[in-house]
Amino acid sequence: MADIPFESPVTKTYDFLKPSPLGDAGGPPLTLSDLSSTGKTILRADPEAADRVGVGFGASVTVGDVLVCGQRPGEWMLIGPIAAAQAFVDGLGLDGFHSVVIHTHSRALFCLTGDSAASALEKVCSLDWSDDMTPDGAAASATVARVTCDIVRNDASGTRSYLIACDRSFGQYLFDALVDAGWEFAVAVTV
Amino acid sequence: MLLVPCPNCGPRNAADFSYVGEAKARPDPNAATPEEWRDYLYMKDNPAGRLRETWYCRSGCRQYFVLERDTAANRFADPPLPAAEADGEEA
Ligand SMILES: [Zn+2]
Repeated sequence: MADIPFESPVTKTYDFLKPSPLGDAGGPPLTLSDLSSTGKTILRADPEAADRVGVGFGASVTVGDVLVCGQRPGEWMLIGPIAAAQAFVDGLGLDGFHSVVIHTHSRALFCLTGDSAASALEKVCSLDWSDDMTPDGAAASATVARVTCDIVRNDASGTRSYLIACDRSFGQYLFDALVDAGWEFAVAVTV
Repeated sequence: MLLVPCPNCGPRNAADFSYVGEAKARPDPNAATPEEWRDYLYMKDNPAGRLRETWYCRSGCRQYFVLERDTAANRFADPPLPAAEADGEEA
């Protein structure tokens, strides 16, 4: 599995956004990045295992190289190198029924970063991404542009940042939808 | 817009959910007669008033739960119950 070359679902180019037709939006720029090649592992276990995992539904925590995200009751998305994720799961010592499935090739992963990231995301997602409702570390599942997504707020050096994962099949569509939502904020794209 | 109060995700747009149907006790598969299965699967009470019904949080937590809704006013009564705690419903 590890030797299969990764192919991102995002295959278009976005040169038309350089430089932004809207000019400098001021402040830190809004950027949309394709991180689909990042390792993704889904752990499913009894929701009670949250005590061992270290985080439950609705929150995330960084353990070494792995971002452990409580996406649903009894379901965690592990973002990071596969070996590190596997080592993390092995270290939990789960004794009940559980499953660990690698989803690197089957899930797209994007990152929306910038002060206006919440405003852009809220154009296509019905959840409240204000600080009060979803502070740094919050994890949720919801539709983004009608696509069911796992979303994690993962601020980078104090800059508001969201990781957005969806089925690979919808990856290109969702990426385009996020570009469209970020247009008025002069989004810059990194693919 | 109908807001469905998911016990895990909080109130969300009904478009994020699947409506499963009236919450009824599931017959014992080893003992149920065809008539009991027919009643369970197809015979709905469909009252104009309070009704216990199962919903599935499709876009959020992917859990089943039971709500009581007034079908005449189209309003939910709080709080929702996890489906496993509802009478005979399986999560
Ligand atoms: Zn839910």
